[in-house]
Amino acid sequence: MMEKEKRGEHRAPVPIKYILKRLLQFFGVFFGAITLNFALPRLIPGNPAQLAYLNLVKTGGGTVNPAYLNQLMVEYGISNKPLYVQYFQYLLGLLHGNLGVSIAFYPDPVSTVLLGALPWTLYLVATSTTISFFIGNRLGRYAGINRNTAKDILVDLATMFLASFPAFVLAFIVLTLFAVQLPIFPVSEAYSLNVTPGLNLPFIISATYHSILPIATIIMTSLGGWVLGMRNNIIPNLNSDFINFSESLGLRDHQIKSIAYRNALLPNLTGFAMSIGLSVSGVIIEESIFSYPGVGLYMITAINALDYPLIQGIFLMVIIAVLVGNLIVDILYGFLDPRIRQEVS
Amino acid sequence: MDIAPLPGDDVKAKRRSESTRRFLKPFSILLNNNKAKVGFALLIALVAVSIIGLLAAPYNPNADIYARGQGPTSAHLLGTTAYGQDVLSQLLVGAGPTLMVGFAVGLAGTLISVIIGVISGFASERVNALINGIVNIFLIVPGVLLIMLFGTFFLGIHQSLGYAPTILILVITGWAFGARTFRSVTMSIGKRDFILSSILIGESRMSIIFRQIIRSIVPIIVSNFFFTAMYGTMGLTFVEYLGVGNLLQVNWGTMLYWAINNEAYLTGLWWWILPPSIMISVLMFSFTLLNFGVDEIANPSLRRFKAVKKNPRQQELKEKVDFNA
Repeated sequence: MMEKEKRGEHRAPVPIKYILKRLLQFFGVFFGAITLNFALPRLIPGNPAQLAYLNLVKTGGGTVNPAYLNQLMVEYGISNKPLYVQYFQYLLGLLHGNLGVSIAFYPDPVSTVLLGALPWTLYLVATSTTISFFIGNRLGRYAGINRNTAKDILVDLATMFLASFPAFVLAFIVLTLFAVQLPIFPVSEAYSLNVTPGLNLPFIISATYHSILPIATIIMTSLGGWVLGMRNNIIPNLNSDFINFSESLGLRDHQIKSIAYRNALLPNLTGFAMSIGLSVSGVIIEESIFSYPGVGLYMITAINALDYPLIQGIFLMVIIAVLVGNLIVDILYGFLDPRIRQEVS
Repeated sequence: MDIAPLPGDDVKAKRRSESTRRFLKPFSILLNNNKAKVGFALLIALVAVSIIGLLAAPYNPNADIYARGQGPTSAHLLGTTAYGQDVLSQLLVGAGPTLMVGFAVGLAGTLISVIIGVISGFASERVNALINGIVNIFLIVPGVLLIMLFGTFFLGIHQSLGYAPTILILVITGWAFGARTFRSVTMSIGKRDFILSSILIGESRMSIIFRQIIRSIVPIIVSNFFFTAMYGTMGLTFVEYLGVGNLLQVNWGTMLYWAINNEAYLTGLWWWILPPSIMISVLMFSFTLLNFGVDEIANPSLRRFKAVKKNPRQQELKEKVDFNA
C-alpha cells in the first residue's frame, strides 16, 4: 500500500516542459496555417469584387458605373496596398475576430455565418471519431488476438471493404435506403422545425435522431484504419517479453490480453490526434450530402460562389478546431506515456 | 585483345548479385504472401481492364445517342446513363485514367516524401524542426479544404492540362504523411551503430543516404507508395465530386459525379452508380492487400506467428523451426 502511494507520488509531476514544447509547436503551426490562409486567395487570379462586378454586368445587361467596382472592393476588404501592409491588416482583423464580409450571404459577416455552423460540425466530428475509435480498437483487438484465423480475416476484410468504398457513395446509398425507401430517418437538417434549439429534452432527442445517419456513415468509413492499426500493434505486443513474463507469473488470460491491449493503444492514440484533420474532411463531405447545416454545407456554397472570405474563414475555424484537438490529445499523451516525458528532458 | 580477369572481378560480381538478391528479397516475400498475391492479381486484372478500355471499348464513352437511363440489356451490358451514354464503355475507358492518377500520385508523393523525410532526418536540428513544422501544417490542415482551395485556384486553367492539375493537387495534399514517417525512420536508423561506423570510416553523406538508409527502408517506401496511391484514387473521386476537376474527362470519379448529380440513387439507376463505386473499391482493396503483404515484410512479428500460443515453450520451439525453414 505504502509503495503504491510512493509510486503515485513519483508519477505525479506534470510534464511541464513537454506541454510547453507542444504549445510552442501549436503556435508555430497555427501561424504557418494563417499565413497560408492569407497567401492562397491572393494567388488566385482575379478578385471576388471583379467577379461580382462582371457578373452584375453580364446578368444585368447595359452598363454599371465603374465606381461600383471600387465600392465593392472596399466592401469586400480588397486593397491594392503592398502585401506586408495587407498581411498586417489581416492579422489585426483576426485579433478582433473580423473575418470579413461573406459574398454568398452578403451582407452577413463571415463570423456570424460560421458561428451558426461550427457547433454542428464539431459535434459530428467529436462523436463519430470517438465512437469509431472505440469500436475500431475493440474490433482490432479481437482480430489481433484471433490473428490469421477466419474471425480475423472476416473482421479485416469487412472493415477494409467499407473503408475502400467511396465515402460519399456510401452516404448516398445509406440515405436512399434508410431515409427515402424506408423513411425511418430524416433526409436533411440537424433538428426538426417544431422544437426550439436550446437545452431542452425534445431538442436534444431531435438533434440526436437527426445525426444518427451521418454519424453512422462516418463511423463505417473510418473504422478500417483503427482496426488495422490495433491489429498490427497488438500482435507484436502479444509476442513480447513482458507478456511472456506475465504468463509465467500466472496472470489470467484476459488480464494478459488487456495488458497487451493497453500497450498497443498508445500508437493508435497518436493516430487519433492526426485523424482529427482527416475526419473533418470526411465530415465536410457527409454534411453536404445529408444537408446537415455544418461547415461542410457552407463550404460547397462558398466554393460555388467563389466566396473567398467565407472559404478563408472556414479554413481558419477548421484549422483552429483541429489544432486544439491535436493539442489536447498530445498533452494527454504526455500524461499517459512516461517515455514521451523522458524524451523531452 | 584479351584481358585476363582480375581476381577481384569475381568477388565483385558475386557481391553485386548478392546485393540484387537482397534488393529483390522483399518482392519475393511479397509474392509468397497470400493476401499480397490476391492484391497483385486484382491489380493485374484492373490493368487488363484499362487496356481493354484503351483498345476495345464497345462504344464511344462520350456518345450520348442511346436510349436514356436504360437498364442492362444485351446491347448495353451495364445499361445507359441518364444522358444516353453506355456505362460499360465509360467504365472501361475510365479505368486507365483512374489507375494512372492513383499511380502517378503514389509515385510522385512517395518520391517527395522520401526526399524531404530523409533530408529532414539527416539535417541539422534547426532545418529538421523547420521541415517538421511544414509537414505538420500539411498534416493537420484537412485535405478536403486544401483540395478545394487549390482546386478553385486551378479551375481556370484546367482544360488544356489534362490530369496534371488534379495530380498536382493530390500530391500537394498527400505527401506529408509519408514525409513524417520517413523522417522518424531516418532519425531512428541514423542513431544505429552501422551508420555511425560508416560516418567514422569517412563515407560521404550521399553515399550513406543512398547505400545504407534508402536500402534499409525499401519496405516502408513500397508500403508508403501503396498508401499514397490509395489516397490518390480516393482523392480523384473527391476532386471530381467537389466539382474542382475537369468534368468532361471520363474516369470513375467523373462517372460518380454525374451519377450523383443526376440523383441516380433516387431515380433507381443503380447500374450507373454502383459499377464505378465497386471498381474503385476493388482498386483500393488491391492496394490494401498489397500493403498487408508489405507490412509483414517490415514487421516480421506479423509474419511468423500463426495463432495465439497455448504453451509458450512449445510455440517458441516451433517458431525456431519455422524461422530456419
